[in-house]
Amino acid sequence: MSDLAVKVKNMTKVFSKGLKKSDYVVAVDNLSFEIKPGEVYGLIGPNGSGKSTTMKVVLGLMSPTKGDVKVFGYDSGDIRARNEIGFLPENPYFYKHLTGKETLKFYGKLCGFRGRELKDRIAELLELVDLESAANRRLGGYSKGMLQRIGLAQALIQRPRLVILDEPTAGVDPLGSRQIRDLILKLKDDGITVFLCSHLLEQVQEVCDQVGIIFEGRMRREGPLEELIQIEEQTAMTFSGAKPELLAKVRELIEADAGATIVEEGHPKTTLERLFVSLSHATATEEKEDEK
Amino acid sequence: MSQTTPSAFEPATKTVSPLSLRRVMVIASSSVTQLVRMKTFYFLLAFAAIIVVLMSLNPPTTPAGVLSTIKRISFGTMDVFAWLFAIVSTALLIPKDIEDRTLYTILSKPVRRIEYLIGKLLGVLWVIAVSLLVMYGVCALALWSRETLYIAEELEAMNADARYSAENVGAQIALIEQQGLRPELGIAVLASFLKAAVVASVTIFLSTFASSSLFSIIISVLVFIIGHAHTMATSFWLYQTDNSLFVQLLLKVVKIFIPNFQLYSFSHGIIQGEAVAYSLVWQMTGLTGVYLVVFLFLSLLVFIDKEF
Amino acid sequence: MVSFFRKIPRTIVVLVVLAAFGLARTPFENRLGEQLIEAKLVVPPPGMTVLDQMGQSALMATLGGLRPLVAGFLSLRGYENFSEKNWDELRQTYQVITALEPLEESHWVNAIWHLGINATANMELDRKLPGFERKRRFHNYAQQAIEFAEKGLEQIPDSVPIRKQLAEVYREKLKDWENAARVYGEMMEFDDAPQYAERFHGYFLAKVPGKEQEAYDYLKGLYDEGEHQHLPTLIFEIRRLEEELKIPYPRRIPEADPDANRARPQKPKPQALPGGIVIP
Repeated sequence: MSDLAVKVKNMTKVFSKGLKKSDYVVAVDNLSFEIKPGEVYGLIGPNGSGKSTTMKVVLGLMSPTKGDVKVFGYDSGDIRARNEIGFLPENPYFYKHLTGKETLKFYGKLCGFRGRELKDRIAELLELVDLESAANRRLGGYSKGMLQRIGLAQALIQRPRLVILDEPTAGVDPLGSRQIRDLILKLKDDGITVFLCSHLLEQVQEVCDQVGIIFEGRMRREGPLEELIQIEEQTAMTFSGAKPELLAKVRELIEADAGATIVEEGHPKTTLERLFVSLSHATATEEKEDEK
Repeated sequence: MSQTTPSAFEPATKTVSPLSLRRVMVIASSSVTQLVRMKTFYFLLAFAAIIVVLMSLNPPTTPAGVLSTIKRISFGTMDVFAWLFAIVSTALLIPKDIEDRTLYTILSKPVRRIEYLIGKLLGVLWVIAVSLLVMYGVCALALWSRETLYIAEELEAMNADARYSAENVGAQIALIEQQGLRPELGIAVLASFLKAAVVASVTIFLSTFASSSLFSIIISVLVFIIGHAHTMATSFWLYQTDNSLFVQLLLKVVKIFIPNFQLYSFSHGIIQGEAVAYSLVWQMTGLTGVYLVVFLFLSLLVFIDKEF
Repeated sequence: MVSFFRKIPRTIVVLVVLAAFGLARTPFENRLGEQLIEAKLVVPPPGMTVLDQMGQSALMATLGGLRPLVAGFLSLRGYENFSEKNWDELRQTYQVITALEPLEESHWVNAIWHLGINATANMELDRKLPGFERKRRFHNYAQQAIEFAEKGLEQIPDSVPIRKQLAEVYREKLKDWENAARVYGEMMEFDDAPQYAERFHGYFLAKVPGKEQEAYDYLKGLYDEGEHQHLPTLIFEIRRLEEELKIPYPRRIPEADPDANRARPQKPKPQALPGGIVIP
């Protein structure tokens, strides 16, 4: 058994475009990275950079042209590896003729669950993704966010040790996006390894421990998030309740030092996302109080 | 997001069996649900309508003739339904899963590709079997009611006429019974099912490398039609010496690569009232089994390395 | 070893497996096909000459495995042609039907019945056509019926129903006693032939000029078989021939025993006519 959740070593994936041997595209070029158990790993890059191909190889949907890909020590094509993986595809595609509950039942049965155990697991997951009220509706009538959440429940059905999320918040409103972010953090708290592919950098920054930046099939930078984004020679301080006199003194002190300059000064701003989420929460709380 | 117990995320390291009949059945039953919810069973209403129309016809012929016509048309319709449904539904199911990318989520679970293929095939065959049984039930009821009516009428008419001996009456009734509901008709239904099974396995093979459902449907129908020219091809092959080399070669290719669907038309004789030897039925069933195994194996050869 | 196989292009592996399977199954399928044709479960493929006449719909039906279904629908079209008295179309319809299902006896019988009996009867009655044309068509339709019968007997050589229908055309429509006698004669060779076939053979033979002696010997043979053959028409015919052939009285069949009729159902008594001729 390996002590790594995912190990990608010198992986190359080439697609042939036509009948001629010279007609090919290198989607992923000699890529290597490792994901430790319990870690949240974000693979970021623009569209067409090779993220999805990498993910499909890890899932066993494709085989690498060259190199090695292991999941918990199993070859990625090995069926045992897939027992350890929960996968949420971008824009989840499920059978639209099934209800939410039937969808979970179908995937649960595929993973070998049945009877009471399956029933309990479905109830547990429906509660987790907050879809109990829509459990008996067909997926054809689900919103994008609901589909994404039933997708997450589906990914978790067999209690996988590794969850792979492909653009989990693409097309989802900020509230839904926040719910999914919270869930990723919850997975992390519970020791589940998460492999996240996204081009929404802010989201990656919020949840990931390790980040890899991929561009044109090659890994450009990789490392712990904090190390990657910190600017070594700069320091930021944020005050609360500081009077103008105090700020003037601080300015004087800095100007007195020959090697230091003030790069930026002003009021810190919230993000539009945070503003939207706090407003939604406030409205919901008011409505609840009104109902009482 | 609501609160949950940590147990929701407890890792479960289960062992995965090499080939699980249970997973096959899960895929099969999901395909059945899919086909049922695509409202494919509405075809049965059309079939019932055909039977009603047939029952209302009163062609100027003998009772045995009427029964024969009812049988011919209703069993012929059943046969067409079975093979056409086998082609269309098989050609739709797999490419649809690929186009809708549902296959991603299925194959990213511990499901082997052969399990997926067998499951899909079984799902289609299950729907065909149920539909054939329902249609057979409707047809049997129609035949039986007509047959009893005719026998009663015939008995009344012949008994009223002193000229007919018991032997004459018996012969006349036997004539009607031969064209009526007989247990052998069940084997005619089995023949249609076996034919549909082979057609479905060929279509599943074609759809593993086809780029669209339409392609699979067209090629499958072509294979099906050419498969009926098998014996004709053989007679050319054996008895015609003046064929060009190209024609000879083409006929050999047809014979070798295309299943012989003509054999599967053995329901024709049964419908016409011929007796059927069980050894032939067993041989046909065995041959069907071999066809299914070989075409599933071929499908797997293509499907196993397919990248999505 | 496994990696070696993986290197072979998949298409080649697929083609090799398909070809191997094809070669392996062909002898078995050929044998099975012959058995199925022998058991009359599978209709043998139409010959080239038939294929030419079949027309598109029938050819497609053959290739699509739809023979019984198309034949069934065409039979309905046949009834329609019949009710519309569209005899030429009816003939074409039955040509296709019988090409599709050559082993189905009833198709042949229906074709002979429609053309030989219904179409000819229609020609006898149809006042819209001039007499000469009606006569010509009458013979044409009867001839077409005979052709159907001949083709049908090629397919089903021991068919009694086809012969029965054919004999009716000769007897009722063409008044061709010689051929009627011949067909009844053929018919009586088969186990499922009706009992009257042997008597009818004699009755119609008796009507053929020059065959009177042969008919007399034959009918007398039947008479001599015993009481069960002493039917009124048979006796009437023998007596007629005895007169015609001037058979000496001692060799003639005896007068009917008045007591013999007691056990039989009461039928109108034969009316005696001058010269000993009896009408049944």
